[in-house]
Amino acid sequence: MYKLFLTLRYLFARRIAYFAIAAVMLCTAMIVIVNSVMGGFLDKIKAKARGLLGDIVVNNNSARGFPLYGEFITDISKWPEIEAAAPVIFSYGLLSFQDTAILNTVQVNGIDLEKTYRINAFKQSLFYEKHYPGSTTLGVQQQPKLGFDPERSPVSSDSPGEMWVTLPAELLDLLAKARAAGIEDRETVDSGVNVALRKAGLPTLPGLFEVNIEGATDDGSGADGSVGRAGYFGDPREGIIIGRDLVAFREKDGRYRRYMQRGRMTILTLLPISDGGSVDAPIKVPLRYADDSRTGIYEIDSKTIYCDFALLQRLLLMDEGERADDSGKIPARCSQIQIKIKPGVDANKLAERLEQHYRSYLEKDLPDVREFERNLLSGIRVQTWEESQAAYIAPVEKERFLVTILFAIISLVAAVLVMCILYMIVLQKTRDIGIVKSLGGSSLGVAAIFIGYGAAIGIVGAALGGTLGYYFVIYINEIQEFLIWIRPEWQVWDRSVYSFDEIPNTVRTIDFAIIVVCGILLAILGSLAAAWRAARMQPVEALRYE
Amino acid sequence: MSNADNLLTAAAIRKHYRMGRSVVPVLTSCDLSVRRGEFLMIMGRSGSGKSTLLHLLGALDTPDSGRISLTAGPQSPEVSVFPATERERNEMRRRWFGFVFQFYHLLPELSVLENVLMTRMVGTSIAGWFGGRGAIRRDAIALLERVGLGARLKHRPAELSGGERQRVAFARALVHKPLLLLADEPTGNLDAESGAKIMTLLHDLHRNGQTIVMVTHDMQLTQSADRMLVLENGALQT
Repeated sequence: MYKLFLTLRYLFARRIAYFAIAAVMLCTAMIVIVNSVMGGFLDKIKAKARGLLGDIVVNNNSARGFPLYGEFITDISKWPEIEAAAPVIFSYGLLSFQDTAILNTVQVNGIDLEKTYRINAFKQSLFYEKHYPGSTTLGVQQQPKLGFDPERSPVSSDSPGEMWVTLPAELLDLLAKARAAGIEDRETVDSGVNVALRKAGLPTLPGLFEVNIEGATDDGSGADGSVGRAGYFGDPREGIIIGRDLVAFREKDGRYRRYMQRGRMTILTLLPISDGGSVDAPIKVPLRYADDSRTGIYEIDSKTIYCDFALLQRLLLMDEGERADDSGKIPARCSQIQIKIKPGVDANKLAERLEQHYRSYLEKDLPDVREFERNLLSGIRVQTWEESQAAYIAPVEKERFLVTILFAIISLVAAVLVMCILYMIVLQKTRDIGIVKSLGGSSLGVAAIFIGYGAAIGIVGAALGGTLGYYFVIYINEIQEFLIWIRPEWQVWDRSVYSFDEIPNTVRTIDFAIIVVCGILLAILGSLAAAWRAARMQPVEALRYE
Repeated sequence: MSNADNLLTAAAIRKHYRMGRSVVPVLTSCDLSVRRGEFLMIMGRSGSGKSTLLHLLGALDTPDSGRISLTAGPQSPEVSVFPATERERNEMRRRWFGFVFQFYHLLPELSVLENVLMTRMVGTSIAGWFGGRGAIRRDAIALLERVGLGARLKHRPAELSGGERQRVAFARALVHKPLLLLADEPTGNLDAESGAKIMTLLHDLHRNGQTIVMVTHDMQLTQSADRMLVLENGALQT
């Protein structure tokens, strides 16, 4: 009993112990923060990668793509383990907006939008699809424009020409559905129209739309006499989805300020690659900005656009065609197949089976699959989403491990500090040790007092440090905002550098528990030398100590 | 007088200290018997080895050679105090011996009551402590009231006078009802009035049957003892 009693009494009576507690606290907090930020970073990469890829991906790591994807998807769609599969084409191009000087180099993804919705989380990344559900398409479309609202009086009697604007009725219906489902726009800064609507207490119109004041045609001539009417105007063109950071600025408060109107005409320039590997003549294609996507990965959102799979396949000469010598057909190609599997299915085993199935096409007698296509097929690899991202994820995992170890080594300073403080306390308490021993206290019992003391310092320090670290991580973005508010140059998280727009702020329970336990063990480790000295003291010598 | 009347017996006790390279003999050959219920006083000059002898008798230290044994009761077997393992000596200090030191040696962070309870905490498990805490506490408070400190239970040692501190030390030494009370110059650090109070306390204890061995260099105090021995040249003389 005396061990527990004296341990607790010394803990609260010896103020010097507070320094040891503070050391353990700071080290625990430091490792919780580092581990959580790095771990959260890794988790985000994994979650985003999975959200963008599906469960299993088929690649051949060639810009020429690979054939027989249609047959493969038809075959595996009958498998009970498969939920859905969709082909994707990757390419690069230049994107410009009509009537602007903006020109961006972009990665172009050709996707089947409906299938992609079923395979990954792409739908959740779309802005207009969220607020006007069902309105986003990569098919042929016109530009939706705002018109003057005939049912409302002018904005004010002082300005009779200034009228309230409204969207085409179809979009208003879709917006009403989203509103009924509780969807509100909290991620964008109000446009001028929305500022006025909000001021008047009227419902806002999420997004940015052109007001039909110049006319219904793209050249603005207004020749059809539709000026002032809400509706869909301009030349019908296929749509594209654009990465959010290509069409909007991000404000310091994290909200986006759009500068491109929905349906605005863009020009995409592509460089098709011939079968021989050379670059063919550039192709320019006008497309309408149908929606924008925010995956949360800056690298993707600032560089990627999405257009219709079939369109891109055709533009890049990857669609089915006749051979020049009329000897048969050239099979269509894609760059990747994304597959969603049913819950509970072992992705690794299924990936092996899928690869075997794809390779089995090489053994079949397919007249349209010639040597060139066979070479493309031989490079097929089927991987789980984790395997496919291993080259990207593994270094981050290693980095996280390395940083945690480095900080753990630094934390040994806390153990040394605990050791010094407890050793000092043992020297100060030499006579007390003699007294306890004169009362019958054993050497082991006396050692236990100081090990218990170290453990108590560890428990209190690690608990405080864990709490501090936890709340620091949870509010890390607010802390950064506060620092930026004090001095803008104190911004430590640059979203363009770290890919994510927010510092990861999740604490993993298991990691947290391990760190706290290690903090306690560290303090106990620091107490061993003091406990050893206390145990070795002879009671008579200790009583004589001055 | 039979051996059964002897509580503690020491034979041919030798003890030396090392001071750097030189060896200082303290006890060359000490033989001693402490009778049950006796108040034995050991006299000697400063540095004569009185405290060392007391520490050896109370299993607080070990001699170089010799033998010390204790018979807890007339029908009890003789138990070796030396030689004995450290664990056995710890147990003896916990059960049979009570120490009072010249400089009180109270734990400064503990209250008066806690200092006294510390004797009972040593050797009691946490479960045992919480099981019998009420009775232990009552005993300790009764003892402190007996030594006149019933109103100072929550005071820290630093808030007490020298005489009061020594009385706390007595209460701490007696709370576990030791067979032998070993007092090392208990009045040596006190003024005359406080010293007299302590001696009165010792007499009371003796009258109630407590066996006491006290060392002092104050000749006047020896008058109240049953027996007096003088430690000189490392040996005890009558």
